[in-house]
Amino acid sequence: MLSLIPRARRAGVYLAVGFAGLAPASAAEAIDFNRDIRPILSDACYHCHGPDAATREAKLRLDEREGLFRTKDDVTVVVPGKPEASELIQRIISPHADEVMPPPEATRQLKPAEKELLKRWIAGGAPWGRHWAFLPPVRPAVPAVADRAVARRVRNPIDAFIFARLAQEKLAPAPEADAAALLRRVALDLTGLPPTPAETAAFVADRAPDAYERAVDRLLASPRYGERWAWDWLDLARYADTNGFQGDPERTMWPWRDWVVNALNANMPFDQFTIEQLAGDLLPGATRDQKIASGFHRNNMFNGEGGRIPEETRVENVFDRVETTATVWLGATFSCARCHDHKYDPITQKDYFAMYDIFNQMSETGRLGGGGQVLPILDVSTPEELAAVKTATARVDTVAKAVEAYERKKFPRPEGKPMSESPDALKLPGNLPAVLAKVEPKRRGVDALLEAVPYFRDTAPDPEYAALLQASLDAVRARNNANSRITKVMIMDELPELRETFILNKGNYEAKTDVKVVGAIPAVFQTAAAGAPPAARVNRLGLARWLVSPENPLAARTAVNRAWQAFFGTGFVKTAEDFGVQGEPPSHPELLDWLATEYTARGWDTKALHRLIVTSATYRQASRTNPALQERDPENRLLARGPRHRLPSWMIRDQALAAAGLLVEPPGGPAVKPYQPAGIWEEATFGKKTYQQDHGEALYRRSLYVFWRRIVGPTTFFDAGARQVCTVKIARTNTPLHALVTLNDPAYVEAARVLAQRVLAAGGDDRAKLGAAFQFATTRGPRANEAAILHSRLGKLRAQFAADPAAAKALAAAGEAPRPAELDSVEHAAWTALCSLILNLDETLSKE
Amino acid sequence: MTPFNAASAHYTRRQFFGKSALGLGTAALASLLGGNAFGAGAPAGRRAVPGLPSLPHFAPKAKRVIYLFQNGAPSHVDLFDYKPKLREWHGKQIPDELTGGKRFSTMTGNQTARPVLGEITQFAQRGKSGAWVSSFLPHMAEIADDLCFVKSMHTEAVNHAPAITYFLTGSEMAGRPSMGAWLSYGLGNETEELPAFVVMTSRDKEASCGQIFYDFYWGSGFLPTKYQGVAFRGSGDPVLYLSNPEGLSREVRRGLLDDLAHLNEIKREDFGDPEIATRIAQYEMAYRMQASVPELTDLSKEPASVLEMYGPDVKRQGTYAYNCLMARRLAERGVRFVQVMHAGWDQHRNLNTQLKIQCDDVDAPSAALIKDLKQRGLLEDTLVIWGGEFGRTPFLQGKIDDVKQWGRDHHPYAFTLCMAGAGVKPGFTYGATDEFGFNAVQNRVHVHDFQATVMHLLGIQHEKLTYKFQGRNFRLTDVHGHVVKDILS
Repeated sequence: MLSLIPRARRAGVYLAVGFAGLAPASAAEAIDFNRDIRPILSDACYHCHGPDAATREAKLRLDEREGLFRTKDDVTVVVPGKPEASELIQRIISPHADEVMPPPEATRQLKPAEKELLKRWIAGGAPWGRHWAFLPPVRPAVPAVADRAVARRVRNPIDAFIFARLAQEKLAPAPEADAAALLRRVALDLTGLPPTPAETAAFVADRAPDAYERAVDRLLASPRYGERWAWDWLDLARYADTNGFQGDPERTMWPWRDWVVNALNANMPFDQFTIEQLAGDLLPGATRDQKIASGFHRNNMFNGEGGRIPEETRVENVFDRVETTATVWLGATFSCARCHDHKYDPITQKDYFAMYDIFNQMSETGRLGGGGQVLPILDVSTPEELAAVKTATARVDTVAKAVEAYERKKFPRPEGKPMSESPDALKLPGNLPAVLAKVEPKRRGVDALLEAVPYFRDTAPDPEYAALLQASLDAVRARNNANSRITKVMIMDELPELRETFILNKGNYEAKTDVKVVGAIPAVFQTAAAGAPPAARVNRLGLARWLVSPENPLAARTAVNRAWQAFFGTGFVKTAEDFGVQGEPPSHPELLDWLATEYTARGWDTKALHRLIVTSATYRQASRTNPALQERDPENRLLARGPRHRLPSWMIRDQALAAAGLLVEPPGGPAVKPYQPAGIWEEATFGKKTYQQDHGEALYRRSLYVFWRRIVGPTTFFDAGARQVCTVKIARTNTPLHALVTLNDPAYVEAARVLAQRVLAAGGDDRAKLGAAFQFATTRGPRANEAAILHSRLGKLRAQFAADPAAAKALAAAGEAPRPAELDSVEHAAWTALCSLILNLDETLSKE
Repeated sequence: MTPFNAASAHYTRRQFFGKSALGLGTAALASLLGGNAFGAGAPAGRRAVPGLPSLPHFAPKAKRVIYLFQNGAPSHVDLFDYKPKLREWHGKQIPDELTGGKRFSTMTGNQTARPVLGEITQFAQRGKSGAWVSSFLPHMAEIADDLCFVKSMHTEAVNHAPAITYFLTGSEMAGRPSMGAWLSYGLGNETEELPAFVVMTSRDKEASCGQIFYDFYWGSGFLPTKYQGVAFRGSGDPVLYLSNPEGLSREVRRGLLDDLAHLNEIKREDFGDPEIATRIAQYEMAYRMQASVPELTDLSKEPASVLEMYGPDVKRQGTYAYNCLMARRLAERGVRFVQVMHAGWDQHRNLNTQLKIQCDDVDAPSAALIKDLKQRGLLEDTLVIWGGEFGRTPFLQGKIDDVKQWGRDHHPYAFTLCMAGAGVKPGFTYGATDEFGFNAVQNRVHVHDFQATVMHLLGIQHEKLTYKFQGRNFRLTDVHGHVVKDILS
């Protein structure tokens, strides 16, 4: 029945009963303060009785122990063991409107079950604890698995935690996935690409006990590993190839992107990975690479809109850096504290601005200087790039001379005087007097020419002049393009004289209060002994080092959680962006902490962490489900089966390219522009940006290298992070528009067409060819009933295309990849259509 | 393996494939989508996509919204907010007490001379209601008695992108869900053949302005991405990748999709993953959209008299006139939220030439849309909104003797917005500015108040449509907003 309940509603029901319905349902089960009680207090009470001093009522603070157990005027909020003597209970059950809490007008009211839980908690002695995420992870003992048969399946401690929990839930792990499915799963997870048929065959045939581990080690060592994991990091780093906002100028941050890929491939320890990206420029004797790494916090959007107040932009950029840092390394939602003390977590506005001060010391002014590359920058341009600009500039000057000569005739004026001295020129409509007449030809910009060309082409026709202006426009565009390709990486620096930071009222850039703050770690995380001298002003390097120190309870947890999310679809903490008191409690708190401590103990060795996860029996389970399990655990949070999810759209594209044998894999370099419907950029930018599609190999590079225009992202991807702000959570939705992409996007049609060529060239009978096509997409051959359906369809397709040779010819010519001239187009088209079907199978689109 | 009986019971294989020439059986598809064959509010025979079970909170006046967004900020003092004082003071420095301490864009922020600029158009009182409308908008003037003018709008943002983002998402910073996303999340859609939230953009022919249409103007923010607006394109296929590849006919596609569904169903029976059923439905809906979108854009059955109302550009895809007609056709087909955006209102130095051009672009089509909805009885449950992101300065940007380059700068302190249709008083003017049109002084309406009012018209208590993200319950109106009850009919 469950599958027929709409997803949205199902999610609602599910959340309402708490994680997987696992809150203590019966009185016999122990109440855990952090799991069961704090979320209620936080949701229903903290808004007025929480961390925000400005809106605190009755000076009562329920998020701290002192407030919760306070006695004032003979009234005690919570008396352990005595619900009836506790004011908290008296208030929540009060029948009087002026007494009851939450007050009747509050949006959030307590449910009867919640009131009951609060009573039981107090009756049971009211045990209290700080929010788990603010305490350092303590390495838990690995639990024993009682059931002998299940215990035998434990491959590493992950399984002990998962299986022990399953036993509590009276569930058993699923059997291991079959070899081919498992290899595809792990290859997609570790490298973003499926195994080749040869790799699959070798793996299936390999009977050695460590066959899987060796396959995993091979995948971890592949340069594709860094390319796959870079994607997730780029989403979180809001990486793109343009600035966003008006004009959306290009930037050249790809050396930073390549730095990420290389660091991941080299398995750079995550603490170093963190420090170099947050403060590589401040390291003693910083290398070129370390400076490039510091570009992490230059990946934010940049608003250079005309009329924009630079300081407003600069301040917003600092906000973004503070909040991104907090999301990634603290799992904390700092943005609330920009305007006021956090309503739920103990983060004050002062804490926010102490962090702000740390990022407030860069020389960035908020002003756009020329293109999209905003100072400070590291110039890593090549002689070729500079030569291209020189050539393009010379072309602009040449055309400008011709334009000038023509304009002397068209707009007569005294010898040696500019066009603005011509009364005719000043009578032109719109912006033309200002942007055309008053600007000498070689200094005119795209905007001016975009207005002038249609005017002299259509409104006041002068074909010769219009053609000259068009030539000018083309030349200026080419020069701008050449300019934007000079590789300059935006990096961080520190002002010699530090700015003073004042708390900004409501986060308004021009509303400085008189409260001065200096860089510091948020108070809730400060562990200095009472009475110790106040710490010195913390700078970026200090912050970076602290973030990956044992004093920060959250860096390893958030990193491990993101990894778990990537492998299993959902993190231990489902709200990957929020580990605070309003975030969802972890599904497996002990395992989360065990993995976090394991990660740091192994020196932040990310490949070791990934290896540990994928070699667990938990990960290796088959992903098949059944109605009972589906009803019990619809989101597979307990992991009584393996993960099964639709692949990210970028991975679906890479897989299609690989299946067709089209994929080319030179590493790194400037972004590429594959197929995109004509006019997408033009429509979004009023013709100022034209998409010049690349040809040849550039069409078949991995998705990681696809050019990302911030205001109108690549159309071939769906459910992708917008690359506008830090995104750590995975989106997985279904709309008909997604189906249209994988059915009709030329990239996919071409992949189907070339996959058809591939299987046709391999020869064999129809069944063999069908099997091969199916294998390239799913890593397995079709079963008899599947093969029968496809085979029957093939017959129909042949008849359909034979009846319409023109259609066959058109379909068999999709895309730019070469096609053997001798190939019969009817046969080719029939196979192309069939391959498109196979590339759209749910199994192809899914990690299984 | 165990077949997934629980789900299979609701649609047998025969139901699934027996009607394959027409796609999935109706009942099967509706149940797959969690819908209801005769979903609330859906016209007979049309299948609805459900929203939240708790919505609407009360009986709505409006079922759908058409937002005619005028990007760049139309000049309120030249079009709607008639201030004789401006003509009296023309050329004289605007009183300091008005401008003191106020924030302007950097384009006039440092300009010390701020002479008052009289209106450049002629105003007259129109209709029974006597609303002042400029001579530049003759068609809108004609329907003044259908319009509800709010003359006391004000906002905080002084730059386009943040101000538009504020109007459409409730926050100046990009990244929050837009109004259309909130409404499709909360209320679903009256049809599943078309997206719940459609966006269409256009600009003035001279391309005189630099404002860009950012996709966060129709983004879903932290709501699932399926709620983001679908931007219909101004050329070619209105929906990306809608057409089958060249050489692959609809008949061939049908056959391929039949087998795709069949193979996916085999997989579902084996694996029991309900996501596979969703996948099957997703592909069927794509197939149906391939038919419903061309039907939507086929204007051959529109009477000449209707086309004429929208003006000469109506048949040209990508124009404001075409988009207005399309908005009506989308509304008829049950689309919840249509966002038509027209750029080019940013007259910093070309007020005397460009404002007229801009008005000519939008005047007839805007009025035609309202008349057309009215003659079809659709205006009763469709809310039409017309307005920009802020107003323009009553004082001059530029030099008073350089008449050709007169302009007005961004002005967040007062501007006019108008609405028509479901639930708002027709022929009504609300709020007022001071005698210079500088500050909204009477019955001030903030952006969040406007948003709260729109939600109210759709049967939503704006404080209660929330979504939990980063531990906080977010809503369109942030923590503000009061319903402007006085304009409700």
